[in-house]
Amino acid sequence: MHRRAASTTLAASLAALLALTTLTACGGDSGADASGGGDDKAPLEIWVRKPPGSPTEKTHKDLAAAFTKATGIEAKVTALFDDFETKLQQAAAQKKLPDLIVNDTAQLGTLVKQGLVREVRKSEIQGGEQLIPSSWEAAEAADGKYYGVPFSAQTFALFVRKDWREKLGIAPPADWDQLDALAAAFTTGDPDANGKADTYGYVIPGTTKRGYLDWYFSSFLWSAGGDYFTGTGKDLKPAVDGPGALLAARRLKDQFCAAKSVVPGAVTTETTQAHPLFESGKGGIYLTGPYNMARFDKALGKDAYEILPLPAGPGGKSSVLAEGENTYLMAGSGNPKGQVKYAEFLIGAEGQTAGMAGDTAGNVVRLPVNPSVKLSAVRQDTRWQVFDKVYRESGRYSPVVKDWTPFRQASAEALNGMVADCGSHPEAVLGKLAGAFSTELEKQGAGS
Amino acid sequence: MRLPGRGRATPWLFLAPALLLFALFKFLPMWRAVEMSFHEVRPYLGDRWVGGANYTQVVTDEAFLAAIGHTVVLAIGQTGGSVLLGLVLALLLEGTARRLWIIRTAVFLPTVTAMAVVAEVWRILYHPAADGAVNTLLGWLGVGPSQFLNDPDSALWSVMAVGVWRGAPYDMMIFLAALAGVDRTLYEAAAADGAGVPRRLWHVTLPALRPAFTILFTLAAIRSLRVFTEIFLLTNGGPDGSTEVLMTLIYKLGLERNELGVAAAGSMVLLAASVTLTLAVRLARTGTGKGATR
Repeated sequence: MHRRAASTTLAASLAALLALTTLTACGGDSGADASGGGDDKAPLEIWVRKPPGSPTEKTHKDLAAAFTKATGIEAKVTALFDDFETKLQQAAAQKKLPDLIVNDTAQLGTLVKQGLVREVRKSEIQGGEQLIPSSWEAAEAADGKYYGVPFSAQTFALFVRKDWREKLGIAPPADWDQLDALAAAFTTGDPDANGKADTYGYVIPGTTKRGYLDWYFSSFLWSAGGDYFTGTGKDLKPAVDGPGALLAARRLKDQFCAAKSVVPGAVTTETTQAHPLFESGKGGIYLTGPYNMARFDKALGKDAYEILPLPAGPGGKSSVLAEGENTYLMAGSGNPKGQVKYAEFLIGAEGQTAGMAGDTAGNVVRLPVNPSVKLSAVRQDTRWQVFDKVYRESGRYSPVVKDWTPFRQASAEALNGMVADCGSHPEAVLGKLAGAFSTELEKQGAGS
Repeated sequence: MRLPGRGRATPWLFLAPALLLFALFKFLPMWRAVEMSFHEVRPYLGDRWVGGANYTQVVTDEAFLAAIGHTVVLAIGQTGGSVLLGLVLALLLEGTARRLWIIRTAVFLPTVTAMAVVAEVWRILYHPAADGAVNTLLGWLGVGPSQFLNDPDSALWSVMAVGVWRGAPYDMMIFLAALAGVDRTLYEAAAADGAGVPRRLWHVTLPALRPAFTILFTLAAIRSLRVFTEIFLLTNGGPDGSTEVLMTLIYKLGLERNELGVAAAGSMVLLAASVTLTLAVRLARTGTGKGATR
């Protein structure tokens, strides 16, 4: 009996040992060191945050092909859209990151914190010193170093149903009161003339997913004279409960709870669900990016809507969220020199012009970061000029902290709670949020 | 010549491929998760040992405690609702007539439909304005419109209703299989003794379904503890965190906030809860079994 048990245990142990040995053999590869060396001709794997099969994926593939033609280095583009960050985490866990990714500027802090990207010295990037200076802000981390190369800039503007506005005989809004009045008119004035109360003013992606509600709110926060923090560097202090922030939060809540001028369902709506609300005629005012023009043109027609800059807020000015995409040079690449060459190609005149893709839906460079490339020479559509002007005059990037993601997420959750519960008190919500900011700042060693 | 111990090693050799796959895809990731739960995870900078700090954060975090509460409410509501509705459907659709098969198949469709499709359909049905599909029905009854997924007070119940709608047909199939095994002569004997339909149901059908109930409660409770997809697609935990459950919170911490260590600690807590629940049910069954044989 004992002998049988012993041999059974032995056999089980051997099988387990065999399994573990095989696994250990599989898991040892950690890739080449990012600091140098490597094979200058090794193929580059590039991930872009674009929907697979989309015109934007094609533009990226064309860019990669042009790069290969120019340098002889093979470059393979993979387009991923849903859960891009999740897939990147999975690749990081396996230590098999792509060589480069082209992704949102807002991801910088997270990527740096986890050591997934390598530092970029401006001087090592040929043509880097010529870029629009503010565009480099999007690649600067909390330690003052750069961890990416700017590729595309963008900002947001109001997409307004022009046909509705003209039908109701209302002038384009010049301040926030007029904007809210327009939203109210869209909600109560039956602008689509179907005899039903089925239209609304604002389209808002108000879910907490990816921090969308904060994404939307930040332009209003700044334009109302509010801010996320005061101070700089290691002496940051939360300011998100200040008077300007409170004013912006109150206005946001009023649209949801008092005027009820927001398309129903906003508190669980993400951008992919919000876009159809504008194009199907549910809502008439949508603060969003230029990338939506192609799809809205197709669904609504170019003449049905207009692009207007966000009017100046009670703070006396308009400050609109600027973002865009950076090229990130990922850690562990087998071809560090090739990484740099690819980033240089993307910011060069050829890369930027091809990335703009004229007036087509394939544009991956929204606004060029290379000032030698003239927007008006590549695009005939004058609506792009509105975004260009907003970016240059009112564009403002997310605050520079070690990792912006937890702040954005906390802010989105607080605001989501505030607008979902009409009995909430904005002062209390923002006060609690400031407390959460304080804790996070301390955690990131950036303030108290 | 026969090698010593060869006979006993043979089953293990046959088991080895399966063990290998299990080790690769189950036990190793689980071990890695245990490791991660004690570290601040930084794939390229090297993990930093933090001891039990991640666990402390998990068990003291307000959001985690709220998520545990929502998970339990959802588990109880969805399990109970699905079992009850599944039983009613099974009793209504029991029989061998060909037409019943068609209806059963139609009723079973929600269970085999992809959750992404189900979620999108319900988002449309739940449209929180007077012209939404369900709200139109409510309007005819002079009620509403309800905000459904968009009100912190009604969101969890709305998600629960979708879970019940989707889970009930699955339970119905198990009940149907169990009902097929009930001895018909017992019904006849009960009827001969003058028992009406409710009494026959209470004294014959339900006792015969006891094993099915046990299986369903165990499966449904464990499934409900790990509920994720419907929440992620319908509300993403919102509004105001009212539908946040353990799995969505772990997902957010791990893959949106990149706190992989804390997320791993949360997963371990969830694992412990699942194991405890499974063992408790097993023990309860053993106890009942012993009692029955006495």
